[in-house]
Amino acid sequence: MQQPPQMDPTNLAVEAGPAKAGKTQGRVVWEQFSSHKAALIGGTVLILMYIITAFAGFLAPYGVNEYRRSPSAQYHPPTTVHWRDAETGRLTAPYIYLSREERDPLTRQRIYVEDVEAGPYQIQWFVRRPQASYSILGIWRSDLHLFGVEEPARIFLLGTNNLGKDVFSRILYGGQISLTVGILAVWVALFFGLFFGGLAGFYGKWVDDLIMRFIEILAAIPDLFLLIILLSLLRDPRNPLAQAFGLQMNSGEIFLLTVIVLGFIGWGGLARVIRGLILSLREQEYAQAARALGLSELKVLFKHLLPATASYVIVNLTLSIPGFILVETGLSFIGLGPSEVDTASWGMLLRDATNRGLGIQFAPWLLLPGIPIVIAILCWNLVGDGLRDAFDPKRRTA
Amino acid sequence: MGPFLLRRLLHLLPTFFGAMLLAFLISQLTPGDFFTMREMDPNVRPETLERLRAQFGLDQPLAIQFFKWIWSILQGDLGMSMQSNQPAWNVIAGPIQRSMYLVIYSTILLYVMAIPLGVFSAVRQYSFGDQVISFFSYIALAIPNFFLALLFILLIFTVRTWTRELFGFNELLLPVAQMTSSNHLNMTPFQQVVDVFWHMLMPGFVVATAGIAGFTRVLRGQMLEYLGSDFIRTARAKGLGERSITYKHALRPALIPFVAGIGGLLPSLIGGAGLVEIVVSWPGITPAFLNALNMRDVYVVLALLVVSTLLLMIGNLISDVLLAVVDPRIRYS
Repeated sequence: MQQPPQMDPTNLAVEAGPAKAGKTQGRVVWEQFSSHKAALIGGTVLILMYIITAFAGFLAPYGVNEYRRSPSAQYHPPTTVHWRDAETGRLTAPYIYLSREERDPLTRQRIYVEDVEAGPYQIQWFVRRPQASYSILGIWRSDLHLFGVEEPARIFLLGTNNLGKDVFSRILYGGQISLTVGILAVWVALFFGLFFGGLAGFYGKWVDDLIMRFIEILAAIPDLFLLIILLSLLRDPRNPLAQAFGLQMNSGEIFLLTVIVLGFIGWGGLARVIRGLILSLREQEYAQAARALGLSELKVLFKHLLPATASYVIVNLTLSIPGFILVETGLSFIGLGPSEVDTASWGMLLRDATNRGLGIQFAPWLLLPGIPIVIAILCWNLVGDGLRDAFDPKRRTA
Repeated sequence: MGPFLLRRLLHLLPTFFGAMLLAFLISQLTPGDFFTMREMDPNVRPETLERLRAQFGLDQPLAIQFFKWIWSILQGDLGMSMQSNQPAWNVIAGPIQRSMYLVIYSTILLYVMAIPLGVFSAVRQYSFGDQVISFFSYIALAIPNFFLALLFILLIFTVRTWTRELFGFNELLLPVAQMTSSNHLNMTPFQQVVDVFWHMLMPGFVVATAGIAGFTRVLRGQMLEYLGSDFIRTARAKGLGERSITYKHALRPALIPFVAGIGGLLPSLIGGAGLVEIVVSWPGITPAFLNALNMRDVYVVLALLVVSTLLLMIGNLISDVLLAVVDPRIRYS
């Protein structure tokens, strides 16, 4: 997994309390962050992406797995949207033509031609399509779509895949999985990292030895192979863990499983740093004072020591989200991702591009799901860099 | 130096055995084995399966299987492949060798490209060139390897379409799949080497991209720090030329972490090459691993884990030793 750039944790942890007179630390950090233009842009784009994927059902004209058997629209190129009237050439409301499947007389390849005689099909706004109902954030159920066309015409803004599923709709739905996996996996890594790092640093002795050796062992096996073997075996509903919890390995459970495994692979580095910080922090005067005042050891750990590592943890976690997204897309690409046939993720959509072997030259639009991946990872990296600079007193600008 | 090495090696042993135990336990996570699939086959008698299971030691308790396996590893035997009925080492040696071609090539590419780029960005800080490099680094860090490989394949095909229409030249500029051409066996040895090299130009570059980007950015930061430090100012005050300052005084200390990092690069690139190997059908480690896992050929899976874990640990050891050799501030007592 790609390691996020490190910063010096020691000068962050001790920097508690108001940094400047009259300003809380949060305010200072925000001021620093908002002066970082690239990070602000990255953050804005990310927020937009998350909003769009939350409303995927409304924005997508079709359901995630909706396709028609006959007439099918396999490998349909992106539909051309016309803005000018065919006769007068003046700007009109957007419309499309019905597309008809034909064979190329020379290559026998399937091609699609616009059926102009059938007349224009206006793009309609706010269409109800009961066959593609959805729920937003699991709360509002609806079948209202931002746009659509009247049957039998169909609109494929970004083309279709080998089964004739709409790539545009699937990219929108895919974001729901690809964008949340990173955030959720980070929480798992945070839980393991704080818990074991804290324990090791606080109790020392054999607890420390045991945990540190285990982290070394985990780091000794190459990440990719560990992920592949864990996921491919755990996805089998016959494995003892699934049996113990009565799991059927439906798409929801596979999603959770992937998140947990990703987080489980990624907590080692965090735990090491937390341990180091706790080891130095517990000898600080304020920790000794708390102990002298009669606070129990565990309370000192949870109330005074762990919170002091917060700034480091926030930055580290933000910078590891893009790594998780990258790994998830790769795993989905080889068919071990969090998405099953009834859902989609961006990596899995890219898998469609290889279905034709090396025929992606005939269906290049199947590579489009890669673009949101790059944008999302780029923006998370920018936000992480901005946060790191904002939290680090050495890098502050006046 | 001797005692230092010995201590580090001894320190690695428990980690190695721990990793092997973990790998073995994980490989047993799912019930069923290589022969389970064949139980459905009416042509195979149950007694045959029993005999085969006994032959591969799959009928014994897990603990015994584990210790037998560890014992045979210590003797240099990685077990038998059930799929091809030959030693697992014979099955994995080829893929490891072929992955190594790719990895060594991209490691060289990494250093050859990243050092000049990093030095340039640091010396011309905030120049147009620096900003271009830094922009592309951000993109390269955000592109999944396999997606970049797919983009390159599309690009190579598109270029062929253009050259066909413009010049009637109907050949691919670079091969997009496999490691060898179809007439590879009829070539002279020299042609064969060129053929393999030709095939790995594109995938090797793709594997190296993220590394180049990360390396360039870190080297730039390191160089800037050293260029602003006191000993450089002293060197300037003494009248040293910019060339000598940049390359002799600033670059050398800035390169220390990267020299030491060579050891860690090899194993990390094996993982990084993984998905690219799948996209371009490079017959390397990752496709072999996935195949063995699908067939439940457990000793081949474990053999690959053992070898890649060993590579990783040896790589880290080399890094530590190199770091101790290169950096006089580190003592190995």
